[in-house]
Amino acid sequence: MITAWRIAIGAAFAVALSNQPARAADPRYPDWPCAQAKVPEISVAAVWAGPPLGDAANQWKDDPKINALVTKVAARRLPLEDAEKEIAGFLSAAAANKATAGKLLFAGLFDTLNAQRASVMNGLERVMRKQREAAEKIRSDTVALQALQDATPPDQAKVDELGNQLVWETRIFEDRRRVVKFVCEVPTTIDQRLFALSRAIQQELD
Amino acid sequence: MWRRCLLAGMFAWLAAMAPASAFVAYVSNEKGNTVSVIDSDSWTVTKTIKVGQRPRGIEFSRDGKFVWVAVGDDDTIQVIDTKTQEIVDTLPSGPDPELFTQDAAGKTMYVANENDNTVTVIDLATRARVGDIQVGVEPEGMAVSPDGKILINTSETTNMAHFIDTATRKIVANVLVDSRPRFAAFKRDGSELWVSSEIGGTVSIIDPVKHEVTGKINFEIPGLRSEAIQPVGIGMTRDGKTAFVALGPANRVAVVDGATHKVIKYLLVGQRVWHMDFTPDEKYLLVTNGVSNDVSVIDVAAQKVIKTIQVGELPWGITIAPQ
Repeated sequence: MITAWRIAIGAAFAVALSNQPARAADPRYPDWPCAQAKVPEISVAAVWAGPPLGDAANQWKDDPKINALVTKVAARRLPLEDAEKEIAGFLSAAAANKATAGKLLFAGLFDTLNAQRASVMNGLERVMRKQREAAEKIRSDTVALQALQDATPPDQAKVDELGNQLVWETRIFEDRRRVVKFVCEVPTTIDQRLFALSRAIQQELD
Repeated sequence: MWRRCLLAGMFAWLAAMAPASAFVAYVSNEKGNTVSVIDSDSWTVTKTIKVGQRPRGIEFSRDGKFVWVAVGDDDTIQVIDTKTQEIVDTLPSGPDPELFTQDAAGKTMYVANENDNTVTVIDLATRARVGDIQVGVEPEGMAVSPDGKILINTSETTNMAHFIDTATRKIVANVLVDSRPRFAAFKRDGSELWVSSEIGGTVSIIDPVKHEVTGKINFEIPGLRSEAIQPVGIGMTRDGKTAFVALGPANRVAVVDGATHKVIKYLLVGQRVWHMDFTPDEKYLLVTNGVSNDVSVIDVAAQKVIKTIQVGELPWGITIAPQ
């Protein structure tokens, strides 16, 4: 039994140490947990070379049709190809108003997807802060457990209880770490979608 | 008689209809560990070839029979037979080959090995390694002068373009450029050498005889932060009149006047545009977009993007069959 705890302690230490936030690559964003560089927001110019947006940047919210389409094509569950078709269909139906409709649609997608991206990134940083607290807790519990084990005679009930708690803390920590790694891909996925949809709009306006 | 006329007419019509330009492009997908083959008639991917780990530098042999692809994580260069579109052999590079170049005759290949600071020299007829050249730390961009006498090697650590005499294999000159030089290209007449600097955000124009920087191209895109503009790949038309520079995460290719070195316009292509190649008739320029996982086709005369082709994961290099 004691051997098992010792292993757990070793593992907890390894985890806690390997996850030191010191490895944050960019000193501007100490809470950013991903290997991918943090780009806080996408600029319009990175995805749009079409006509200047002007008032469209604010007006898209007032147009129910644009709103509905933005919601539909922004959703990642709709395959990109289908989303591009929706856009092409909508804009060719707009006929004379094509340029305006295209600008409104782009403005809507830009705001919506940028906001989605920001919320995912905030979530990642929040989890990173929690992880740091968890690592601290694992570290102090490990030290406490060691002290309990070294006491003569050791209080076996307390050792078991704290040991058990440490195992759980470590497991939660590890699970979160796996999820974070997966979620780190999401901002890029959103970038890709915004770029592809913007390109589809611009092709229609050309 | 009528029939014959009709037949003759048919032939003429068919001849006129037959595409003058059926080209084949090979694209290395760095993360997908594949090479995508694109047909220029349909602009579609006709085959995906599984290759080694981390394929980047890719080039056709001058006779069009083979495509070489540097697979850095496997420490070798694979040889693809373009008839069967299968891997048939490997070339002896050093560790972690990233990029390579061949001389005008297609006899000698020079490989930049990222990990051991050397350039490996390979004889293409025998596929044997015939020597190594010690260069600066982390060799990156490579180019051979049109007369084959000088090999250019850019180094990220020294921020220099090193001029290497291909006969003696010794460095004969060093030219300081901006931060992280990535790619080097000669004008076809040998009058200018262009070197892109990824972090510096510029392209340096170098006089290859005097070994001096004679001009610099700067890029400005309204609404984009300067650090998002990262020049990498360069393509120049044979007459040296027009050049294209890939600007990485700016998602644009700059069209540059080859004589005045002024930027004419910016074309929005795909995300993180990296390398490029012309079709042999120079009607089209194909560029790889690493993040959007596609290739953009640019109409060179119209200076316009006409098509986007989805390829594998993280497309890096591209080469188009000579004709």
